[in-house]
Amino acid sequence: MRRSLSWVLFNPRSRSPAGLRLSLAFIILGLWSAPTFLLAASFTATLDRETVMVGETAVLTLKFEGGQPKSFPTLPTVPNLQIAGGGSSQNITIVNGEYSASISQNYALTPSQPGEFIIPVLKAEIGGQALQTPPLKLTVVKPSSTAADSAGDKLAFFKLFVPRKEVYVGEVLAVEFQVYVREGVANAENILQSFDQYGGCPVKAEGVSIFKTAHTQWRRSRVGNANYNVATLITSLSPIKTGPLSLGSMEVTLTVQMPLRNQPRRDPYDPFSFFQRTQVEERRVALSAEPETLTVLPLPKENVPAGFNGAVGTFTMTLSAGPTNVAAGDPVTVKIQLSGRGAFDSLTLPEQSAWHDFKTYPPATKVETTDALGLQGTKTFEQVVVPQSPDIKALPAVSFSFFDPDQKSYRTLTQPAVPLIVRPGGLAPAPTVATAARSASDNPPPAQDIVHIKPRLGAVVQIGPPLMERNWFLALQAVPVLAWLSAVTWRRRADQLANNPRLRRRRQVAQIIRQGLLELRQHAAANQSDDFFATLVRLMQEQLGERLDLPASAITEAVIEERLRPCGVPEATLASLRELFQTCNFARYAPIKTSQELAAIIPKFEAALREL
Amino acid sequence: MRWLSCLVITLLPLYAQAALSAAGFDAANRLYEEGKFAEAVSAYEKLAQSGQVSAAVYFNLGNAYFKSGQIGRAIAAYRAAQQITPRDPDLRANLQFARNQAPGPTLSPSRWQRWLARLTLNEWTLLAAGAVWLWLLLLAILQWRPALRPALRNYVFSLAVIAALLCACDGAALRETRFTRTAIVVIPEATVRYGWLPESRLAFTVHDGAELQVLDQKDEWIQVTAGPGRIGWLRRDQTLVLSGNDLPPTKGSS
Repeated sequence: MRRSLSWVLFNPRSRSPAGLRLSLAFIILGLWSAPTFLLAASFTATLDRETVMVGETAVLTLKFEGGQPKSFPTLPTVPNLQIAGGGSSQNITIVNGEYSASISQNYALTPSQPGEFIIPVLKAEIGGQALQTPPLKLTVVKPSSTAADSAGDKLAFFKLFVPRKEVYVGEVLAVEFQVYVREGVANAENILQSFDQYGGCPVKAEGVSIFKTAHTQWRRSRVGNANYNVATLITSLSPIKTGPLSLGSMEVTLTVQMPLRNQPRRDPYDPFSFFQRTQVEERRVALSAEPETLTVLPLPKENVPAGFNGAVGTFTMTLSAGPTNVAAGDPVTVKIQLSGRGAFDSLTLPEQSAWHDFKTYPPATKVETTDALGLQGTKTFEQVVVPQSPDIKALPAVSFSFFDPDQKSYRTLTQPAVPLIVRPGGLAPAPTVATAARSASDNPPPAQDIVHIKPRLGAVVQIGPPLMERNWFLALQAVPVLAWLSAVTWRRRADQLANNPRLRRRRQVAQIIRQGLLELRQHAAANQSDDFFATLVRLMQEQLGERLDLPASAITEAVIEERLRPCGVPEATLASLRELFQTCNFARYAPIKTSQELAAIIPKFEAALREL
Repeated sequence: MRWLSCLVITLLPLYAQAALSAAGFDAANRLYEEGKFAEAVSAYEKLAQSGQVSAAVYFNLGNAYFKSGQIGRAIAAYRAAQQITPRDPDLRANLQFARNQAPGPTLSPSRWQRWLARLTLNEWTLLAAGAVWLWLLLLAILQWRPALRPALRNYVFSLAVIAALLCACDGAALRETRFTRTAIVVIPEATVRYGWLPESRLAFTVHDGAELQVLDQKDEWIQVTAGPGRIGWLRRDQTLVLSGNDLPPTKGSS
């Protein structure tokens, strides 16, 4: 890129305005595309469903971002779990100018026995980076024997699938709403597509927070003696009160089309049935799923950690802080990442009471989820803390407590203290933190309120349109462009002159003539006959020498006949020049002339010059 | 002597206006300190409408709104202050704090947008223009003194890259500030629908303080997005729509 840039800047061809525009376009294009090479690589593994019934299929998606993997990881053999390759896809997206590319590899997992299957850690190498995914759990349950399952004669039915009957308050749960349409239904595809395009929440419940709804791939399922095509909508929700929780579904009336058994005979003139439509019988079916009842358990009241702030799920924590060598009053950015599974939107950092020696600002948060429901991923907190005293030696340990519904117990994650070097600095106490006046015990928790109002008005400004929309500013930008264009024009003229001696002589002679005419007028006015005619001869020699490409000293009256006449100069001009030469010669012998007589010669000379 | 008189006559009204603004600002601050947040909002808004504004006016207006429970209007005021002093840590802290109080879906700025917002559009423009000026003047010098070309080659190359980079940033800042419209929800709860009719199906719900990108508008409705997959229509009067360098409409004018 550097080579191409230097070419466009220094290549003579590219010095034209068009070339420069092209070069700038190259630069800007290169800069816009540069971030694509700077993206960090990532490798994630997700299951479209975490709980399936025996015989059903879950899709495992391995997603590689930021480059191509050196080789695709091989899935290990898991007993009672059939793994089939489901193809791969590439995806390139540009959203708000941000470019991203990814490769996805899909696998269909079909269990043959109930139980819990663990997809182990998978490793891949992308762009020299060794990456791995956390283990995934797939729960397989026995097929239920509800009325809907046994009713294999139904054309279509809905079903709610809840992975667990007991959940904790605040725990996130993925509830499946399944749409079964029997094979043979003529408009089965239209029905399933309409549910795929449904953007709302199909689950109805009170006392829950509903987060997102995602769609999975269609699948086939056998219920009773019939085969069904199944579309599944998965909704993530979290109960907010304890006790029994009833989950229902939306009620929909579908128009189901069944082909008639006695179709008309095939038209002999339309053997491929282009113009003959299958005759169907339409039936309207009002559907809703049978409600499911869960029990929402309260969080245990025993062994609640001190810093617990309501987080429920399974998390891991990492922490980094920098810079670690600062002056008192300088900011240190603490980056805390909570990864795992849970309700990330409501996840907050607990108050860190040990940070009383720091001024803290509210953390900036970012959530990156790896599944469609937004339940798995990482939440990053970037918290700016400002050490207030040079006595501080470390950023105290950070703790985060949560309730783990899998282990049915509270867990506390702790990251050790980060050593800090705090140099004395010219720190003025911040207006909102009065650390000196308070003891450590009654210090306020970090970022509990907004920073107080400004006491002074400060610099008053007049808000106007930005500089880019002001005419004077835009006009001002023409100055360097004009300066550069002037320099280019000047350089070209100088080069042209240097490479063309005749042109250079013509310009020199024109200058000599302009100067000489002034001298002639001065000599005529002063009645200096000798100087006048000497100048006149010199000027004629210079002008004719330039025109005939001869040295000025070689020009005499004889040149008129020898050189000018063959060139086709008009006779009147030749006569005028001859007369001027003769007047000059005559003046050598009779130099006394009046000023008027001398001045009268100048127009004749100018006329002869014009005709040359 | 005459020019001195003219100068005094010209500057006197400005000085009087500034003194008046400072007195109004102090009075508004007193109202805030006394806990009369609604009155303080009115006083700060009056100052903002006078045209003589400072970052402190919008900052304090944001605080007054926040204290009176209007998170959306507080965020709009903080964003206005950010156009004047984008690197004020107190302002960034309050804006972040207010954003954290807004529940539900909202469009949080990306890291790139946050980085870009460290400078105002005018600052980006001046930086880019300065780099382009230097680059072109250097090219002009090379035309004037071609012998300097080998010595200055690297400088020209570096300046070209810097100028192009700054121009790209300036363009991106222009796009963010002038051509991206943001709607901030200013009522406790607003319903985003799939269509622009009151009977259209519910898409999702947003709350006071939610920042949404405006995609389109139709009559009294605006089409907004709160991120991938969250697109819908919302009544315009439930939001403050900020466009480019426009300052937020005050309560009295909305």
